[in-house]
Order: sequence, then structure tokens, then C-alpha cells
Amino acid sequence: MVTAAEKVSGHKWGMAVDVDRCTGCQACVMACQAENNTTLSTEDVYRQKRTFAWIRIERYWYGEFPDVKARFIPIMCQHCENAPCEPVCPVFATYHNTEGMNVQIYNRCVGTRYCGNGCPYNVRFFNYWEPVWPKSLRNQLNPDVTVRSRGIMEKCSFCVQRIRRGVREAARDGRELQDGDIEPACVEACPTNALVFGDYNDADSRVSVMRNDDRKYTLLDKLNTFPNVVYLAQVDATEGATGGHE
Amino acid sequence: MRLSRREFMTLAGGSTVGAVIFTACGVPADELLVEAPLDVPEDLVKGIDSWFATMDDSGLGVIVRVMEGRAKKIAGNPDYPVNLGKHSVHADAALQALYHPDRVEGPMRRRAEGQPLTRISWDEADGLLRQWMADADGNLAIVTNPVRGGDARIASDVASAFNGRVMFFDPLEQGVLHRAIKTVFNQDRIPDFDIGNARTVLSFGADWLGTWLSPVRFGLKYGDFRGGDKRGFMIHAESRMSLTAAAADRWLTVNPGYEGDLAVSIANVIVSEGLVPATNIAAYSANIPEGELAKWAPSLVAERVGVPAERITEAARRFANDGPSIAFGGGSAGAQTNGVFNLTAIYALNILAGSVGAKGGIQFNPAGAQGLPDSATGASFEEWERELAQWRAGNVKTVITHAVDLVHGFPRSVDVGGALDNVENVVAFTGVLDESSAHANLILPENSYLENWGLDVPEPAPGYEVVGFRQPVVNAPLDTESRARLYDSRSFLDTLLQAAGSRVDVSSVKDFVDNTVDDLFATGRGSVTAGDRRLFMNGVLQRGGWWDVNAGANTEPPSSIPSPIAVAAGPGLSELEDRVEGHVFTIVPFAHQSILDGRNASTPWAQSTPDPITTVAWATWAEINFDKAKELGISEGTWINIRTTAGEITVQAYPHPGISPNVIAIPIGQGRGEGVGGRYAEDRGSNILNILVDKKESETGALAWAATRAIVTKAGGKKEFPKFEGDARDIIRPVEGGVPILIVKPGQTAHEAEEYNHEQHLRFISNKE
Repeated sequence: MVTAAEKVSGHKWGMAVDVDRCTGCQACVMACQAENNTTLSTEDVYRQKRTFAWIRIERYWYGEFPDVKARFIPIMCQHCENAPCEPVCPVFATYHNTEGMNVQIYNRCVGTRYCGNGCPYNVRFFNYWEPVWPKSLRNQLNPDVTVRSRGIMEKCSFCVQRIRRGVREAARDGRELQDGDIEPACVEACPTNALVFGDYNDADSRVSVMRNDDRKYTLLDKLNTFPNVVYLAQVDATEGATGGHE
Repeated sequence: MRLSRREFMTLAGGSTVGAVIFTACGVPADELLVEAPLDVPEDLVKGIDSWFATMDDSGLGVIVRVMEGRAKKIAGNPDYPVNLGKHSVHADAALQALYHPDRVEGPMRRRAEGQPLTRISWDEADGLLRQWMADADGNLAIVTNPVRGGDARIASDVASAFNGRVMFFDPLEQGVLHRAIKTVFNQDRIPDFDIGNARTVLSFGADWLGTWLSPVRFGLKYGDFRGGDKRGFMIHAESRMSLTAAAADRWLTVNPGYEGDLAVSIANVIVSEGLVPATNIAAYSANIPEGELAKWAPSLVAERVGVPAERITEAARRFANDGPSIAFGGGSAGAQTNGVFNLTAIYALNILAGSVGAKGGIQFNPAGAQGLPDSATGASFEEWERELAQWRAGNVKTVITHAVDLVHGFPRSVDVGGALDNVENVVAFTGVLDESSAHANLILPENSYLENWGLDVPEPAPGYEVVGFRQPVVNAPLDTESRARLYDSRSFLDTLLQAAGSRVDVSSVKDFVDNTVDDLFATGRGSVTAGDRRLFMNGVLQRGGWWDVNAGANTEPPSSIPSPIAVAAGPGLSELEDRVEGHVFTIVPFAHQSILDGRNASTPWAQSTPDPITTVAWATWAEINFDKAKELGISEGTWINIRTTAGEITVQAYPHPGISPNVIAIPIGQGRGEGVGGRYAEDRGSNILNILVDKKESETGALAWAATRAIVTKAGGKKEFPKFEGDARDIIRPVEGGVPILIVKPGQTAHEAEEYNHEQHLRFISNKE
């Protein structure tokens, strides 16, 4: 059966991350925070290990001094096709839409945190407190994005507000969406173009091309979550090291 | 009537929306589309957004989303040649500087030393400024961060009108870099580095992917370098693992101050093995006495440089054989007593590789369009010492500061605060009160760049003429209850021009911008073509600038260069205090990834962004070699004292797998006292700049800020860091290879690497059993 949403959609959004290009600069992290009104991770929040980052840069050490390497990988919601967070939600606050995205309905969430427990990527964040900004800083808030209240779960939305705007504007202008028309804030910021966003249904899109790259892999693929975020492996061009394992 | 979401749902219970919710069980997709966060009633967006192009205060072209007079998002300007739509971690933080809750609300005056600041009107402030500038004719100093383009011209014109001077201040000054560029290439401005088209990049000291010069532009090129048809190979020499060192294929852990020796040793291999054309060798060696280069054979320098001879040879061969190649450096490599030697030796490698003016190499930049100042560097430390002596002697009547915190940025030994106290009138333009504000008689609230007009010439430029335009995109917001402006700030340069009156030709920055537009329009060339001047102006503002890709530098590469080893010298590290026991380290300060030299410290986003390597936020840390720390009984979070002959700070240690054992590296930017820097920066961390010893670079007089040695002792106690990830002990955890970062060899597929990893993992487990 074709749902009404599928009739109007036709897109399957995804992201590709070329780890070989990522320098760990954090531009994506800050851009995401600015775009999505995520609450501030204060010093206290850091100490409690409850930081908010819809996208984060994980750093891993490889080797030993002086041949040690710090390697970086951006991690955000993987928008799994077979998402462990979805079936556990008792109120259907998280669901999989027909555009390949794992979506969170804030005003439906009752805060059981089952989805957070179920997510193997640790990319869901629970609002333990009401977000608070000094009055003047509220001017910076993005009016396109709901400010989440205490007691609900949130996560990367692929900047759904930008997707909706992009689709609307293309329709208004009477044209087809072009690859690159829609960029989540993290992709827009990334100086090295390590992050690429697009439509898997468009075989010529950059994400589709990257998904077929020989270096493509997905995180924790043995769990069969079938993420819509794919990664391209980092290349080690130094001589002597064995392939894929340090 | 205001309705909450839940109230709305209740009221709408029998309506269409209610029906949608009801049918949601059967047809979820429809209901869920309605319920998308964007579409729920309380999130309906009123008003129309507009995007305006402007120029940020670091030389990036940005576009700003403005809704109902409020700036909502800053992004890179896709048109602007320097950053092509990309932006850095600190670009977004400008929003919080704009709407900072602790922004100075209006002009304030301190009527006598020790008295508190009291609010005054702008009329009174303008009157005082006018009078103090006029009184100081011949004794006026205007101090600002390094600026270029129209900003530099206007500041200079105002100072000249009062027979005064402009002093640029940069705590991590770049004067040594400019001297080396001039020496090797005879260029007055920093060239463009064509990293994207290079096959081998050899860099020294400078964290060019993190904080050095133009990291967004370099990042773009790095992406091309990694993503091209043939992936490039990168070698980086630095004593600590910066972001750039982490990105390198080969990291050379050079001892601080020996970068020049390393570069000459690489040249020795190239010349002795004849790896490049004879003409290149002749150009490089023209002024080197016979046999001198042999003294830098890898086997002879390896020990003092700290890099094994075979690694030096490997780097040299790759640099020479796998071109196009480019070599560049700066940062800590230049911040030594022998900084000019280090950087001269590094840039001279480009002569050997034949990469000057070549694709993938060094591209010279043209002079600024319309004669606009195209290069900015801080006054040298030596010049500053002379200047401060004048202040201290009471020979300077009025000092005007802007976008600098001298007390925070200078070593404590030069006593800037004392010098300021001997100046009769100190005027500080600032957004948030800083350490220097305590010494000011007049505090004037400064606009954010989002509220100003301005012109910039980027450095480094992209190889052709570019003028970046800054325009005001927002006004000060109103308080939602009182309807009063949240702050009453003004443009620094406009205020100066107003005070200067008829002494300066232009009356406002906007006038200067208009005049420049006239000049550019008259050239009839460049990125904007328009039938009349008004349309031209609109086009320039819409694109955020003007550039002419055909107006490149017309300079030939030098046929020979001065001997890079004529000024060869070892680093002169600072003395150590007698009678103090402890372990000796060389201090390498570095700019923080998000708060930089402290200019973003007041913003919570910059504070809360974790350092990429240590993942520490909201704090200062001292990076100390992991094994060395273990040897000294120092663990993560241990409080340690770092003592130099100039003073002592106490800071938490971070045992770090990627730093030389003889080095301790500390980010700058924190360390403000109580009530200083705004609520997010005050009383936080330590300031390593304050205890640097005043060693100078021998040729330029620049502060050798990486030449201070310190004695480190445990202070007692430890505290957990506010940080994002687990500690460095994770290095030994037995994770299956490829989780989560899969690594492949060139030409290897992800699948092959995963299979290999899994086999290895199974073998690891069976051996363990």
C-alpha cells in the first residue's frame, strides 16, 4: 500500500561521512547547536556526563608515541532503517517516516527514555532540566525549531526544518530539487566537505555515489540496523602498518 | 489569547485536527506529517527571513539569517572566495557575542583612580573622547587587534590626524612569519598555499587546520587534498599533537626550536641525493658556503632535532619525489629566539621543490585592491616594550584600545596594567568588560561586527584581488518588556571619526565604503558588473565583496635566495629559577580551538565546545606526555604548579599520548578573574601567557612565546575534568579494529579491511583464552 506521505515524498534522505577528510574541528558541532536550539552543556552538565550534542566528534587514539594518532569520527543519529529506538516507544513519539528519517515528535514524548536505552549509537538525549537561556540570548533562538521542554527526548533531525523549507521552495519555484539544495547545518559548515547530505533516491547524488564507494561502511553493521548514515573509511598511507588494524 | 500546544489539542478535539489524531492509528504517515515539529501550531513561524552577506571579524565571508530584526544563524558565504560557504567553529559564536547578557549597555566613566565606573550619556562620552584626543595631539596611541583593509586605513588616518600612532596587538604575533616570507620570496604579504593541488604537504609548527591564519580556507583545500583522484600525503612537524598533527599521515615530533634544523636537514638529503633539478639546487644553494649544508646531515642533527634520521630522509625523499609539494610553517616554529631561521629554512624548501608559483605550491598574492592595506601583523614585542616605556614615563596622554585585552595577553613581567595607570586618559572600546577595563577611565560599548560597516582585504588572499564588504545586518534588540534597547553600543571607527571631525577626510565608515565602491566601479572589472553605481553597490553587498580572478600577482619566483643557514642558531630557551625542585619542561602555549586567544571566551557556545583532542570544555588543561606523567605520579586532573622565572600558575594535568616528553602544552584564552569577561568566562582556568618569560626572537624582536622553560611540581589534589570522552587510558582497550573508525590501506576496500579486522580479533580472543 502506498501511503499518502509516500505519494508526496519520493525522497530518501541520507548522509555520507568521509572520515578521511574529517579533521575534528568541531565546526559541525557548533553549527548544529546554533541551528537546533540545543540546550547549553554547562560545566555541571559535563561533570554529570549528560552533555547535549546532536552531532559529536569522537576521538580515538591509535598506536603509541611517537607514532600515535588521534583519529576523529562525527557521530549523529544514524536514521536507521531498522531502528531499535522505534518499536520500544509506547506512545509512537519516535517513528520512521517515508523519507528514510527517524523522526521524533516532541509533544508526544512522555519521557520513558526507552528509545535512549535501545539506541546502540548513544545519540538520543533526554532533557533532565528545562532549558534556560538568559533573556537576551533568547534572541538567537531559531524560530523554525521547537525549544524542547524538560522530560522529553531529542536527537538529530537531519535539520528537518531545512528539508521542509527546501522542498517548499522548490515547489514554489516550480522546479525539481537539485542535489545540494538542502544541507543540514553540520554539512553546511564542514570546511573539508567531510559531511555530505542528499537523496539516496537520486542515483546521481553525491551521497548515492559515496554509498557505493569501496571505502563505505556503516557503524555497528552486525546489529542490522541499516543506518542511512554511511561512512567512508579512513586511509592509512603510511608504510608498514597492516591494513585496517592498528 | 495564547494557547499552549496541549490546550490547542483539547480545544480542537472534535475538529479536523482531532480527527487526524484519531485516525493516526490507521494511517500514521498523514498524521505524522501534520505533527512534524515545523508544523505544530505553537511553532508556526511568523515573518520572513532574509539572508545578508557580510564579513566576520576574522576575514571570513558570512551570510546571516535575520528574522524580525534578529540574527538567527551565521553561515559561510558560498560566493566569497576565501571560504566558499564554509565557516569555522567560532563563526557561530558571534551570535552570542551580539546578544551576550553581559554586554556593556552604555558608556561608563571612572572619574578617579579606584572609583567605580558610572554610566554616562553618549553625548558626554563623545565630548570626553573629542577632548582627550585633541589634548593628546602628538601623544595619542590607538591600540587594536591586527586589522587590514578599510579598518586599518581609517585607524591609521585618525591616528595620523592627531600625530599619533596605531599599535596592533596579537598575543601570538605573526611578525616572524612576515619577515621569513619577505626574506625568502621578497613578498610583503602572505602567499596562498595551494594545498588542494599538492601531492605532498610538509608543514611545521602551525596548526593550520585548527587556528592558524585561515583555517577554513585551509580546511577546504585539505578536503580537496584528501579527496582528489590521488590522495595526498601530509607530513607535519610539531612538538604536540595539534589538529593538524592529528590529520597528518606522518607526525614528526620535533623538539621546540629545532624546526629550522629539521628543514635544512631535509634540504641536505634532497641536495646530496640530487632528488630535484640542478637549477632548483642552484637557486637554493647560491648563497650557502661550500660544505656548510653537510653539517645538517640527518645523522648529525637527529638527536637535537628529536626526529630519527630515517624519518628525516623519508620526508625529504617524499617531498622531492612526489610532487607537487609545498612546505610552510609558523606558529610555535616561529615563536622561538631563532624563529626567523626556522621559518626561513622551511619556506626555502619550496625553492628546492620548484613549487613557487606552481600548481600545488606557493602562490603569491597581489597588493590590496585600490591600495587598501593588505597585511596585518602585531607590533613586535620589542616595539611594545618601547611603547609601554613611553606610557610608563607619562609621555602618552591618551590611549584608545579596541578588541584587545592587553593585561590578559601580555606576560605579567611587562606590567601593562602599571603602564596603563600612568596614562592620563585610557579609553576602552569593548563588548564585555575585560581585565584591561579595570585600568580605563572611559568604557565605550563596541558594536558587534554584525552591526558595523567595514572593508577587509583577506590575508592570505586566494591568489587574486579580493575586497570583503561588511554591512550592518541587525540593530540592537529591544527588551520585550521595557521596549528599551538592550545595549547602546556604537562602531569603534565611526566613533573615532566623529571625534576626529574635519581632521579626517571621511566622516564615517560608510563614507569610506562608498568611496571604495566608487573606485571599484570605475575600474570596470571584477565580480560584479552593473549598469550604474547604485546597482553595483547592491551587487557588491549581496555577494559580500568584490574580487577579480584575473588580478593575480605579477611576480616571478626568485632565481636565488639568501642562505637560509646564514642566521642558523639553536633556540635560546629561558633560564630556570634556582632552588626550585621539580621537573623541567618547555612550555608550548597554543590557541584554543573555539575560544582562540580568548576573544570568544565570553560566549557559552565557545566555552562548551569540547577541545577536539582532549575533549575538555570550560577549563584550562596542561598536556603532559602520558608516560612522563606516569613516571612523575601525575594522573588526569592532578593539580600541578608550573613555575617560570616570571611567575607561577596552577592548572590541571592532562596526560596526553601525543606530546613530546620534554614539552608541556597549555591552551591560552582562559584565566580571567572574578567579575571579568562575563558570566561564562569569569574566574575560570589559568592564563599561561602571564607567566611567559620575555625572550625575544633575535631578528625581529617578536616575543618568543614558545621559548619559556618551566619547573613543574605537583600542587596536591586532583579534580575531574569537565570533558566529553573517557580518558587516554582508552588507548589500550581491546576494541575490534574498525570500530568505529575503519582504516584501510590505499586501494583496499572497506569489506577487505573488515574481514581482516575480524580475523585479527578472533585470533586476539583465542590467544587470550
